[in-house]
Amino acid sequence: MRFLSLLAAASFALAAPAKDYSFAQAQAFLKSYCVTCHQGAMPSAGFNTAKLNTLQTMMEDPRKWSRMLTRVRDNEMPPKGAPAPPLEKREAFVEYVEGTMKTAACADGISPRPALLRRLNRAEYSSTVRDLLNIHINAGRGLPADGAGGEGFDNAAETLFLSPMHAEKYLAAAREALEYGSKDPRSRARFLIAEPGDKFTAEQAGRKVLEAFLPRAFRRPAQPEEIEKYNTLFLNAYKRNKSYEPSILHALQGVLISPQFLFRLEDQNAGAGPRPLDDYALATRLSYFLWGTMPDEELFKLAAEGKLHDDTVLTAQTVRMLKDARTREFAEQFVEQWLNTRELGRDIKPDAKLFPAYYDQEIQSAIRYEPILFFQELLTANLSLLNLIDSKFTIMSNKLARHYGIKPEKPLRQQPVVVDLPEGSHRGGVLGMAAVLAVSSYPNRTSPVLRGKWILDAMLGTPAPPPPAGVPPLEDKVGTAPQTLRERLERHRLNPACGVCHNRIDPLGFGLENYDVLGLWRTEDGGKAIDSKGVLPDGTTFDGPSEMKKILLEKKDLLVRNLTVKLLGYSLGRGLTLEDHCSVDRIVDTVKKENYSAHSLILEIVRSVPFRYQPGTSVNIPVIPPAAKAN
Amino acid sequence: MRSFQLNRRTLLRGAGAAIGLPWLEAMAAPKGDTKPPVRMAAMYMPNGVHPDLWTPEGDKRDFKLSPTLSPLADLQDQLLVLTNLWNPGSVGGDGHYVKISGWLTCTTVTKTLGVDVSCNGVSMDQLAVQKSGRQTPIASMELGIAPVTTGVDKNVGYTRVYGSHIAWAGPTQPLARELNPQLAFERLFRATSGQAEGAKDELLLLDRVLTDARQLRQKLGGGDRQRLDEYLSVVRSLEDRLERAASPERSKWKPRATLDPAAKPAANPKDYADHVRLMFDIVALAFQTDSTRVATFLFGNEVSNQNFSFVDGVTGAHHSLSHHENKPDNLRQYQLINRWHIEQYAYLLRKLRDMKEGDSNVLDNSMVLFGAGIRDGNKHDPHNLPLVLAGKAGGRLASGQHLSYEKDTPLSNLYVSMLDAFGTPVERFADSTGPLPGVLA
Repeated sequence: MRFLSLLAAASFALAAPAKDYSFAQAQAFLKSYCVTCHQGAMPSAGFNTAKLNTLQTMMEDPRKWSRMLTRVRDNEMPPKGAPAPPLEKREAFVEYVEGTMKTAACADGISPRPALLRRLNRAEYSSTVRDLLNIHINAGRGLPADGAGGEGFDNAAETLFLSPMHAEKYLAAAREALEYGSKDPRSRARFLIAEPGDKFTAEQAGRKVLEAFLPRAFRRPAQPEEIEKYNTLFLNAYKRNKSYEPSILHALQGVLISPQFLFRLEDQNAGAGPRPLDDYALATRLSYFLWGTMPDEELFKLAAEGKLHDDTVLTAQTVRMLKDARTREFAEQFVEQWLNTRELGRDIKPDAKLFPAYYDQEIQSAIRYEPILFFQELLTANLSLLNLIDSKFTIMSNKLARHYGIKPEKPLRQQPVVVDLPEGSHRGGVLGMAAVLAVSSYPNRTSPVLRGKWILDAMLGTPAPPPPAGVPPLEDKVGTAPQTLRERLERHRLNPACGVCHNRIDPLGFGLENYDVLGLWRTEDGGKAIDSKGVLPDGTTFDGPSEMKKILLEKKDLLVRNLTVKLLGYSLGRGLTLEDHCSVDRIVDTVKKENYSAHSLILEIVRSVPFRYQPGTSVNIPVIPPAAKAN
Repeated sequence: MRSFQLNRRTLLRGAGAAIGLPWLEAMAAPKGDTKPPVRMAAMYMPNGVHPDLWTPEGDKRDFKLSPTLSPLADLQDQLLVLTNLWNPGSVGGDGHYVKISGWLTCTTVTKTLGVDVSCNGVSMDQLAVQKSGRQTPIASMELGIAPVTTGVDKNVGYTRVYGSHIAWAGPTQPLARELNPQLAFERLFRATSGQAEGAKDELLLLDRVLTDARQLRQKLGGGDRQRLDEYLSVVRSLEDRLERAASPERSKWKPRATLDPAAKPAANPKDYADHVRLMFDIVALAFQTDSTRVATFLFGNEVSNQNFSFVDGVTGAHHSLSHHENKPDNLRQYQLINRWHIEQYAYLLRKLRDMKEGDSNVLDNSMVLFGAGIRDGNKHDPHNLPLVLAGKAGGRLASGQHLSYEKDTPLSNLYVSMLDAFGTPVERFADSTGPLPGVLA
């Protein structure tokens, strides 16, 4: 079972395998749909299903199973033209195989996975330089944006590539930030802590500055020889130009382009088995997770005292951090990528002619920050995560309230604040937020398909597979057009190849049709009454968003699991493996017991094996022994 | 013709989009000058084309530009319109990511949400860079408009990193793009201003961190080592560039213009169209001043939903209109968007043509590819890609033709010919079967 736990998880709502599905059924599936090509001496793509003929092969050669699984799940196999299974059969098969593999992986106990070297991404770089120098410019603004990997975040180690351009930009950004800081007395007090004068010579002052700066920049104590190296840079410069300040800034610029600063290095574990992260590495993981920046004095102090890893201390620190205003950065980075609202104003822009309201700066900013501040409020006030589905409050400025047509009891100002929603406000939860509704629309009109996809993907973590190969696009026959969008989509769903997925997607989207592109409530569109009824594939019916939210509340465990996967992936900066899903199971169980409280989710992540431990040279020695496998 | 007597600053700060960046007067040819160098650029348009209004009528030298290509009418003698090329590696996978990321590599990218991103090759522009040595201050420029799209596309199982890159320095090195015209200009300026003050100091710093990184590397495990190697390689490339700036040992070619710091464009273009043109101005300036000879540009990331309602007759967004469902009105708008892209391309070509280089001009000495990774966006069709190659590459290209090939001719064959024309010939590129007949003069 060596590789089992290393496999990337292919599905997303990875639950336990269906109980009434057997290995024999999985074999029958392979026989019906795969064997024809994948058998004999020359199997297609060199892939022979005969090697998958026992349950044992799933444990011994999980990579082979996993490779097959991904292609089956994504509708790539069987190929176009070959007999294909109906979606339910496909999904039951994928669920069974993956669930079985996960159960086997979890039975081995829970061991941490190696953490790939992570570069500070653009946002982390900016925040870190800001805190290091106490400056208030965005030092990283010229850096290229980072792509996303793993669970969909741009802090994933795997996609934090470096291009030649980065080297120039880091050099220039460091120079600019230091020059800026050196002109501001408050900044100088933070990093230029000594100057030549009565107390110190220039040589002494330079050393003092570096001795204080290096540990903060490297997020751990600096070795004497490290200080020596940068001190040499300083001294050589000082010899050349006889001027203190340019010389020390020169050395500090070197620190800011060093790999020890730009990468989050964790000491390698040379032992065989896993061990808890050292306290400095833990402080760094915590602080980039919850604040998006370097650790503060208190975290450094606890790390220096060797106390941070203590359960009580760790819990207290996590709660302290969650109540701190610095969670804004976390909320912004996490929420905008999780809900995809970062693309609003970038790739997705409401049409300026049709929706001029969006082009008011205040409105635009209030729309953008509503989900961010809402999530931050859940964190700081430790509210229920189910507020994401429906809530009795939101966060609004005066203009956003006016945009929504809400008259709050107390008059609002320009700064957004928590507002209790009056009866019949049609708001509550992320689905009533303009940012979400706009980012799941076209620039000029709403789209039930996009919105339905958004709910399945972002909220429930159950994205629909791509259309099977060779499905004809929506076509209008001459003479029968025009129809309403609902009629057209209904006809589309009559085609079984389309219907299997669109029966899931479209009804959810129609449930939001009362909101226009900018999230304004409407009862008619183009003179026609809005019809926001929907029938889900299981026959459940609803009329309008509030009824639909009730149905989503029944699916709350999907939301919580999805959010857990996203947050764990975000906190680790990588995609989750099958085994990480064992940790996800445990976290979700606790969160349920804790009434879905926001703090319970964050605390469980922080306490989890993948977050707190690092593996040794032998990766599969568990921290939580197999005996504890049943949660 | 009316001649404009405008102050340069007025031009820059005022009209911006329509007029673009001015360039310096052509300088007299220095003595002992050599032949102008060949430059190469590739401009990528997302979301495909209206399939019926792209291909010219007629063949070889006797052809009539299609409605979509008609904005290039005055440049017809500079064009090679290429029909029936494709990248067989881009079949399947998904409708977009596999198509764009293999456009210049002619490979199949690895399907992944991130952990094993690979284009499984190198893009032809970067191969040219690697083979041509370092004759210019900047090896190549990667430019774009939209930042890399965030997130992973779980519907199809690809990281969106793939949808935002065409230039790959190696299998796992997608090259970041500069999006800000002002920063792009400053980068050009820094690189070309020769004995940059402070370059020596910076070299000392780079030397310091390189030593550190090498020592650090010893302590790391395999995967981390690879990351640190990336760091080492990008720092070394900067070191190398600064060293060359300090002791210019560049090619003998003396560019006809130098960069004027006053010509710095605005940091925040007023709209999308303005932004595209400013980036094209940068390409033109970079080529004219011989700051680089290789550039790539993305009009948008693949699956871009850029709102094109600023084009007369268009009311929608790019990707959604590309799924036109064969409705006449969608097709009409789709084609207008395609045509708008061609107009911008024509703007760049004219700009290069107006830059004199002795008896020729910069366009004569360049080859500028325009294209997409799919044909009909409605069905993500990878066959018969829309492609135009403009410029004469210093006389190496047999321009002024519509060349129609056998169905499914490898796109990589075009790149074999282009690499030859660029002066960096290769035996093979990816799945190539030989040069593309008729392309070279």
